Amino acid sequence: MTRHPPTIDDESLIAALRLAAGHDPVPAHVSDAARAVFGLRLPGAATARPVATPAPSGVRSSEETRLLRFAAAELTVELEVTSLDGLVDLAGQVSPCPEAGTLVEIRTLHLTQSRELSPTGQFAVTGLPPGWFSVVCHRPEHAPVATSWTRIRP
Amino acid sequence: MSDQHTVDAALTGDQAAWDVLVARFTGLLWSAVRAYGLSPADSADAVQGTWLRLVESLHTIRDPDRIGPWLFTTAKREALLLSRRNRGERLIADPGDAEHARFDPADAGHVHSDPALTVLTADEGRRLWQAVEEMHEPCRSLFRLMATAPDAGVHQLAGRLDMPSGSYGPTRGRCLNRLRTMLTAREATP
Repeated sequence: MTRHPPTIDDESLIAALRLAAGHDPVPAHVSDAARAVFGLRLPGAATARPVATPAPSGVRSSEETRLLRFAAAELTVELEVTSLDGLVDLAGQVSPCPEAGTLVEIRTLHLTQSRELSPTGQFAVTGLPPGWFSVVCHRPEHAPVATSWTRIRP
Repeated sequence: MSDQHTVDAALTGDQAAWDVLVARFTGLLWSAVRAYGLSPADSADAVQGTWLRLVESLHTIRDPDRIGPWLFTTAKREALLLSRRNRGERLIADPGDAEHARFDPADAGHVHSDPALTVLTADEGRRLWQAVEEMHEPCRSLFRLMATAPDAGVHQLAGRLDMPSGSYGPTRGRCLNRLRTMLTAREATP
């Protein structure tokens, strides 16, 4: 690290050198995906942001489970994420339990699945591809609440 | 079209305006995340995540002129999280950590006028390479190689530079410091 302000970090310098050299063009699929992302916007939705959860402990195995928690002003979404054989299972709990008729959408960049919440506020979806996902809670008479986009690794 | 008009149009659901933003910034974001040594697949994920963050935060952007720095800062953060995950314990979901929870991308206060962003222009890029051409070995060859072979691993790069693999990282660090010093000296010269 240099002592001279302003400091430009190593990664930014490397990026600047490479950008100017022009040997690492953006793959077409990256630009295509960036344009397609616009179709996933939810005007008026509230974003539930991640809140810290206790780190998982215990022996790591081929099957891993992780707890994620997202909070918006009036709603908390907890997700148990299990990765198995390259696919992802989600088990979720919305609290406080919303009224009947609440729909949950599990959105990925390629597909969206809908689930009706159980009377106890739970839902599950299995066999999702790894990658970015967001869970949207559609309650009658309320603006939707969407969990901040989160990446699940393969 | 100014950023203000472009962002306003995107807010009304104008896909063409969004495409303008993508065309303007995707190259910059790609270079920014690739510099963290991420694979093409991870880099694609980090850039994707950056645009997703913008989609969910678009309505909170108070100053459209700050959209470039905002995207840049967000992309670097996504890349850093990903590179840490790759180096450390395998975690299956990002971001579930407190660091990310504290980061509210909608808060423009997080985005200062990043000096790093100023070197990521065509003019500055040319000046940067002029400085590199004045450097001694191994820095000059190291930077040329680093720029022309973005997917080469440390082992391969070190081999081409005729140095042990373990020397590549520290040497690159010293060369970057030297380059930074040269830039700072130029700034100071009227």
